[in-house]
Amino acid sequence: MRYWLTRLGTSVLLLLTVSALAFGAMNILGDPLFNILGPVALDVDNPESVELIQAAEEQYNLDDPLPIRWALWLGDFVTGDFGVQFSEDGEPPVRDLISERLPRTLQLLVMAQVLAALIAIPWALWTASRPNSKVDRASTITSFLFIAIPSFALAVMLKWALSIKLSIFPLAYVTNDTFWERSFQMLLPAITLALPAAAIYQRLLRTDLITTLQEDFILTARSKGVSRRSVLFKHALRSSLFSFVTIFAINTGALIGGALVVEQIFLIPGLGRAIVEAILREDFPVVLAIVMIIAFAFVILNLIVDLIYSLIDPRVRSS
Amino acid sequence: MNDPKDIDHVHLDEQAQSLVPLIAGASTFHDEGDTETATKRRLGIGFWIAIGWIATIVTAAVLAPWLPIKDPDANLIQPGERPPYSPSSEFWFGSDQDARDMFSRTIWGARISLTVGFVAIAFGMVVGGSMGMMAGYFRRRWDSVVSFIFLVLLSFPALILAILITSLMDRTLFTISFVLGVLSVAPVGRVARATTISFADREFVLAAKSLGAKHPRIIVRELLPNVVIPMAALALLGMAIAIVAEGSLAFLGLSVEKGATWGKLILTGAGTRSLEDAPWISMAPIIVLFLTVLALNFAGDRLRDYFDVKETAL
Repeated sequence: MRYWLTRLGTSVLLLLTVSALAFGAMNILGDPLFNILGPVALDVDNPESVELIQAAEEQYNLDDPLPIRWALWLGDFVTGDFGVQFSEDGEPPVRDLISERLPRTLQLLVMAQVLAALIAIPWALWTASRPNSKVDRASTITSFLFIAIPSFALAVMLKWALSIKLSIFPLAYVTNDTFWERSFQMLLPAITLALPAAAIYQRLLRTDLITTLQEDFILTARSKGVSRRSVLFKHALRSSLFSFVTIFAINTGALIGGALVVEQIFLIPGLGRAIVEAILREDFPVVLAIVMIIAFAFVILNLIVDLIYSLIDPRVRSS
Repeated sequence: MNDPKDIDHVHLDEQAQSLVPLIAGASTFHDEGDTETATKRRLGIGFWIAIGWIATIVTAAVLAPWLPIKDPDANLIQPGERPPYSPSSEFWFGSDQDARDMFSRTIWGARISLTVGFVAIAFGMVVGGSMGMMAGYFRRRWDSVVSFIFLVLLSFPALILAILITSLMDRTLFTISFVLGVLSVAPVGRVARATTISFADREFVLAAKSLGAKHPRIIVRELLPNVVIPMAALALLGMAIAIVAEGSLAFLGLSVEKGATWGKLILTGAGTRSLEDAPWISMAPIIVLFLTVLALNFAGDRLRDYFDVKETAL
């Protein structure tokens, strides 16, 4: 219990640090007033502009010292008020923008992970049951290639080959289509993310399976007459699944980065597109909100990984 | 080994081992180690091919201004034809929509991409490596402070830090390399620390100490040569990661502003229209980037196997 309290405490501390750093950096390195008002912010001699500046400072608490502004922002943020966008008259509020974009990125990640697991588990079982065979060697090279290829390179190549040349997958993501149509439009991006992930999972699971297959309990099961297939599925796979789940959770963090990039190539209006648009417009409340959401996702994922670790190995909790 | 009992033991072990595959069903569950230990002490032809490719691309990048290639920014419009031109003897990798030669742009892009990769990992090696070595050698308070810094850096999502800093600063070659360099400090430093710890208590260090060698001398003359070799493998892998990171940043609109990089070249050719009309615009830099990243990964992997570095030692 104490372990989990400390663990939770560090997570909250980390999120506070991220938010303070991000908020501080945006306000010190950027110029919020200029971002809100545009050139008017520099026109301090004109009384009309001064009025606008004062109104803006009032509205966005810009005349308070930085720590107080951070505290005010944080208070709003945790209660679900993400503020207004600087540009485009503040419409829609950041919260609405996020709640429109986030589900798309989430769906992409879920589809990618499901596909990756569906590819990786049979692939690992297949190669682990015949290590060092021709099939296994070919698969080692394949997985090495998939792990080395950058997600954006794979995305462009798949888009060209499967969407443009062979026209198997649609080219555009249409926000007004039905859920199933949109899921199909998201399939190729999901495959792009899933292939390298599957290669990582396969390599880990294969090594783990081969080690497990040399354990005494496997030998016992075999000598009792359990078939090879049954040993592989029931005995070896089950005990190897723990480490699989761990790498699965860890790799989700890496996939978030991949998803942001892949969204650009397949033009999916998710968080990745949102952050790029916001950076171009220097719309800091949006960038800040997305940064915090991703940081939050990382922290939660790390907690889940630790939870799995402590389930496998109770010694972690006491250290 | 002259003791007859020992010989018996060896025999017994061999017998026991040969029984395992028999029971487990033909030669299905082979011990993987067998073939790997046999090849471990050779770098292999693949390693030298990879190094050859890296050397070629680095040479081309360094010598780009003096090579007999076209000006990467010149609009070489061919009379009577509209760009983009497909690959030909005139344009080896084709040209982009502005009739700029993709072959020479890819080579000029290598200059920036490789510089980013190299400076980033060099920064990580120097800063992270020396911090890790100091922590591993002096232990005590140094170690706890440095380990804490590494922990903080590692628990900070790297992507967020990269997006945050690059979106706020002028995106010069220096800032991008610096940001990626800072991100590589903790992973590099941890390996340096672990490797140093594994050598710090060895006899040759003790011998140097008892001969009266001071700390700086021990670190530089005794420990550094042992730490540098495994770090070289890590440097190759790290450079690949930094090059890919630059590409990813380019797709978020956050790469180096001036000049062509591989990431930006791929980005310009990645639009649906470009892919339909002129896939070579993105494919040429993709192939070169992929081969480079692959070569760096492969060479790093081989080097790591060769010197048998354990990533998670300690």
